[in-house]
Amino acid sequence: MSDRPAPWLAIARYEAAGRARGSVVLTGLLSGFLLLFLAFFPSMSSAGIDLDAYVESFPPAFQEAFGIISISTIEGFLAVEFYQFAWLLMVGLYLAYLSGGTIAGDVASGRMDLTLSAPVARRDVVFGRFLGLVPLVLLLNVVLPVVAYVGVLAVGETIAAERLVAVHALAVPYHLCCVALGVVVSTLVSRAGVAQRVALGGLFALFMFESLAASSEYDWAGAVSPTAHYDPSAVLVNAEYDAAGAAVLLAATAALVLLAVLRFRRADLAG
Amino acid sequence: MPAIECRSLTKYYGDVRGIEDVSFTVEDGEVFGFLGPNGAGKTTAIRTLLGFLSPTSGGAALLGHDATDPGESRAARERIGYLPGDPGLDEDRTAEAFLDHQAALRGSGSREALVARFGLDESRRIGDLSRGNRQKVALVAAFMHDPDLLLLDEPTSGLDPLLQEEFAALVRERVVDGASVLLSSHVLGEVAALCDRVGVLREGRLAAVESVEDLRSRGGKQVRVRVAEDVSRGAFEVRGAMNLRVGDTVSFTWTGGYDALIDLLDGFTVHDLEIVDAPLEEAFMTFYDGDVPGPGRRDDARGARGTEASAPASGTGTDPEKTDADGGDR
Repeated sequence: MSDRPAPWLAIARYEAAGRARGSVVLTGLLSGFLLLFLAFFPSMSSAGIDLDAYVESFPPAFQEAFGIISISTIEGFLAVEFYQFAWLLMVGLYLAYLSGGTIAGDVASGRMDLTLSAPVARRDVVFGRFLGLVPLVLLLNVVLPVVAYVGVLAVGETIAAERLVAVHALAVPYHLCCVALGVVVSTLVSRAGVAQRVALGGLFALFMFESLAASSEYDWAGAVSPTAHYDPSAVLVNAEYDAAGAAVLLAATAALVLLAVLRFRRADLAG
Repeated sequence: MPAIECRSLTKYYGDVRGIEDVSFTVEDGEVFGFLGPNGAGKTTAIRTLLGFLSPTSGGAALLGHDATDPGESRAARERIGYLPGDPGLDEDRTAEAFLDHQAALRGSGSREALVARFGLDESRRIGDLSRGNRQKVALVAAFMHDPDLLLLDEPTSGLDPLLQEEFAALVRERVVDGASVLLSSHVLGEVAALCDRVGVLREGRLAAVESVEDLRSRGGKQVRVRVAEDVSRGAFEVRGAMNLRVGDTVSFTWTGGYDALIDLLDGFTVHDLEIVDAPLEEAFMTFYDGDVPGPGRRDDARGARGTEASAPASGTGTDPEKTDADGGDR
């Protein structure tokens, strides 16, 4: 008996192994997406158009939503074209969607019955399901800065490696928070498909709310959104590293996982 | 210490009754059957015992552990094997990966022996397996840690007859080794072949708990007799004779003693006489007589007949409508 791993670890390993191929494919696709955008940069910057004047003409809410500070430098370009859109929004939404299906999906399919017929606590299931998505978050944030750095050099530009490392290091707490949000929804909604859409829609709604609140007198209210605490543009363009924001995201992650545990511990497993 | 002690266990889903006031005990080393049609509450009872559902009221103990306390329940589950009829498995994973995972959660002393015995190809993706082979995967997971208590919920519903036999043999071996079993089924033959006692569930309530022996004797004897004389129906319309059919041969279900039967036949010249145990269904139907001829039950009754190959041939037992009417006579 003692040679068995802790149940949460066994569950996390099993889930991560099941996602291994998908994680590699996603990392490859996002790398390709990043390189595609980088390939556009030389022709854009040499076209002689004042892009910064162009984006300054955007409405403030739009600038806020996409973190537009500058677009004419490689840092600003990467921030706007890739990090604000792909890393903050797309990857965040995708992670919330994936984790939204975890617990609800297992309960609906009856897989949870087999897991919980073993000597496994409900909290082990929640921890395990959360941790099972951590390798994906880490893989993305370890591989992509390397791809970005090499890609920038390849198009004849330079970028401070420190800023690329920071933009990904600070993305980890943000992405974990997205996963935790999905896990909570997964314990609140019983149908997996609905849980996934609620998690995705919820995060998107928070993002929209934050963007709109920022350009109103209630800008403080935007802090409820995870997206308010990760600003890739500030990192890449201004080298501002928001450690407090990372701490808020990690605390929120812990609180959300705890909420999921409390919720799942009492839940009847429909079946 | 009993293997299962169920005390007034009640589970409502909102206003919908799952089970109500279910009390029974499964003794150590006993095979106890839950018998009832779909929707009678068999699965709800088992899932409540396992802690998947929290009871509305009442309680239960598994292997001496309070089943309603999460920590206690987990301790009990160290020694429990659970096999549902339609198990949820990971379609995308191989049987090997799934069983590795289950082994990490519960242990796997006899995994290899079970895989070999049931001829499971572990290298295949679960989604590519037939229903029977998927059931084998779940079966190995349920038995591989040599549990002391087996909770089997319609366990053979996906297995072909040969595998059902092998499965029954496995259960018997485990019982000889000291395991206790709670087996739910709507197939009477399966329950009769494996169980010591049977709890009949009806609309969420435990209608009766009887030994299989008692259930059999309650069914009486199926009598077919051919006599020299012309017989009138009235000659056999006596106390103890039911389902009477008079033709070239006279057949009826006899619930009285043998002496009374001999007295009854004494007035005739008997050419041929056959006395066999009445099909168990007839005894079973007495728990359902009159007020519950739902469509689900009829299907179940039909399924029960189809699989109980060893039951004595019975002219009346093959017609569900007829059996319902017979039940109503009692």
